[in-house]
Amino acid sequence: MSGVDASPVTPQGGLKISNPRDFYGGLGLVLLGLLALWASRDLPGMQGFSFGPGTAPRMFAFLLIALGVAVLAVGYFTEGAALERYEISAPALINLAYIFAVSARTTAIWMVAAALLVGGIILAVVGLMGPRRNLVRGPLFITLSIIVFAVTIRPLGLVLASYLSIVAAAAATPEARWIEVIIWSAVLTAFCALLFVFALNLPFQLWPTNLSWQTLLSFH
Amino acid sequence: MTDLFYNLVLGFGVAFSPWNILLCLIGALVGTLVGVLPGLGPLATIAMLLPITFGLPPVGALIMLAGIYYGAQYGGSTTSILVNIPGEASSVVTTLDGHQMARQGRAGPALAIAAIGSFFAGCVATVVVAALAAPLTSVALLFGPAEYFSLMVLGLVFAVVLARGSVLKAVAMVVMGLLMSMVGSDIETGASRMAFDVTELSDGIGFVLVAMGVFGFAEIMRNLEHESARSIVHAKLTGLMPTWADLKASSGAIMRGTGLGSILGILPGGGAVIAAFAAYTFEKKVSKEPSRFGHGAIEGVAAPESANNAAAQTSFIPLLTLGIPPNAVMALMVGAMMIHGIVPGPQVMTKQPELFWGMIASMWLGNLMLVIINLPMVGVWVRLLRVPYRMLFPAIIIFCAIGVYSINNSAFDVVMTALFGVIGYWLVKHDFEPAPMLLGFVLGPLMEENLRRAMLIARGDPSTFVTRPISGGLIALAVLLLALAVLPVFRSKRNEVFVE
Repeated sequence: MSGVDASPVTPQGGLKISNPRDFYGGLGLVLLGLLALWASRDLPGMQGFSFGPGTAPRMFAFLLIALGVAVLAVGYFTEGAALERYEISAPALINLAYIFAVSARTTAIWMVAAALLVGGIILAVVGLMGPRRNLVRGPLFITLSIIVFAVTIRPLGLVLASYLSIVAAAAATPEARWIEVIIWSAVLTAFCALLFVFALNLPFQLWPTNLSWQTLLSFH
Repeated sequence: MTDLFYNLVLGFGVAFSPWNILLCLIGALVGTLVGVLPGLGPLATIAMLLPITFGLPPVGALIMLAGIYYGAQYGGSTTSILVNIPGEASSVVTTLDGHQMARQGRAGPALAIAAIGSFFAGCVATVVVAALAAPLTSVALLFGPAEYFSLMVLGLVFAVVLARGSVLKAVAMVVMGLLMSMVGSDIETGASRMAFDVTELSDGIGFVLVAMGVFGFAEIMRNLEHESARSIVHAKLTGLMPTWADLKASSGAIMRGTGLGSILGILPGGGAVIAAFAAYTFEKKVSKEPSRFGHGAIEGVAAPESANNAAAQTSFIPLLTLGIPPNAVMALMVGAMMIHGIVPGPQVMTKQPELFWGMIASMWLGNLMLVIINLPMVGVWVRLLRVPYRMLFPAIIIFCAIGVYSINNSAFDVVMTALFGVIGYWLVKHDFEPAPMLLGFVLGPLMEENLRRAMLIARGDPSTFVTRPISGGLIALAVLLLALAVLPVFRSKRNEVFVE
């Protein structure tokens, strides 16, 4: 862990970060804080003695930025463990693409969503073919599995949505054996249908109703 | 005293209806079933199983949730002992001696003593909760907004001090949680805050989404990085029952663990974890042969297991009396209560006594269930552990997805959960503890509301938090704690505890 005994930054290699976990972690928090500040820019602040809706968000956003800078500084001035590798850019972009698409009211936002999606897919394909494919795989297919479920549950019903989603999830590990996946997904799907629809009586549609491309593509 | 007796009778009357017993039984069973799965602690388990309680009346739902909670916790101990994977922080210590016992072929007695210790602790803690609930509720009535705010600050400071790793990063996590909790409409003005014009965000981010993403999905992503190499004890489970010598050796440990756990559990900020650590360390100190610890000493299982169960139970006290969840699991219980239209706080006890006391009685019942059903079923859990991870994790994912979807019938929520999974994975990669964030996230709205009210009452003077005696005392305690955690002497001690 980042200790107090600050040892000087290793001079070699110019901008070599000696504690990248903390450095980039802090940077992430600063960016999040800035995003919050930007998002709450229009909210009114203090009104006399009373807090406006924007007061607390700004207060905590500034606090988060300050703490982020502190973490970042610790990361810069101390030695620390190397960053464990991870690849989350593709799933992050795909997630954001969905969120943008859902909230899209203008063509511009639709375009952003499409761009994010395309970018995510390109990154995913490149990553899956690259040398670090096993790092790409887990987060990517788990995200895809969940998004598949979210997109198909309304138009296709619980059975098909679950089945597709489970198959997608199974791809998250290189250990997947495909015949096993096909059978196991069917068993799990049946179990889900029995548990959630018949035993727990939750209001799920089991099978597709009036399926058309229009229903499939409408997010709401 | 007669009040206490009368209340407990009322509670047991509620809890002992056949229907509620059945719910508690199912809860404990399902809770253990899920809690045993690797990488699913009580938090993820409760989040995942929350939807199955939706169709029930509030009392039944809470009783079932209590069953799930104890089941999940016991499931965590089971994996600690058998697979050396602690389901959650509070059963980390159990792995030390528990897994050693299992390797020596004594998994049966280890599991049995964990259950017996937990049961004893549960019995004592039930009485403690019942006895303290009424007086603490009257204390709660003295609390104004300033005091509530300061108390929550204290709770968050506890969470920070008890988190692993850097204090600075834990504070940052709390603040991140607070900030995220402010997404959605403002309580007083209804103005939409930081929602980016997304309709689905106008009600804020659901607590279950964050919990399930950060603790469920992120955990799976992490587990998938490693080849599935789990050291499951293949030795046959012969002789489940502990011998007389075992019982005699652990009886003292169980009592000491229970005592420590009951006290530490009341403290806000993750009492169960510290209770387990404290009980283990204490037991090692009082033992005549401390060298046996770490090599399969039965006291090393009995003490922390009793302590974390006692603490898990007494941590309901701040929740039920003050309405403040002291840790992330309790925060989830608040979420569950809210879904059933119950706002936790001092008014629950006076307005819905049968719910309040029924829940307390059901805690005891839940512990009893664990002993009755789980011990004979240990063989089943072991077999479950042998199911390969590549088959388990898609099941977890689909249950979570369906569970999240069923809360609001919202596909958006499901995708948000995935996003939080990615965020949680990133946090872990950068050594940020997600638990303080979750606590901050839950306490956020309550804190902001009380902060705003207190400031309004004090006419915008922030010194009100220090000058009002109770509030000032709480703040002083919080500052002291934080200072202690940062001081080098205690800091090294703290790291030592967590490294062990």
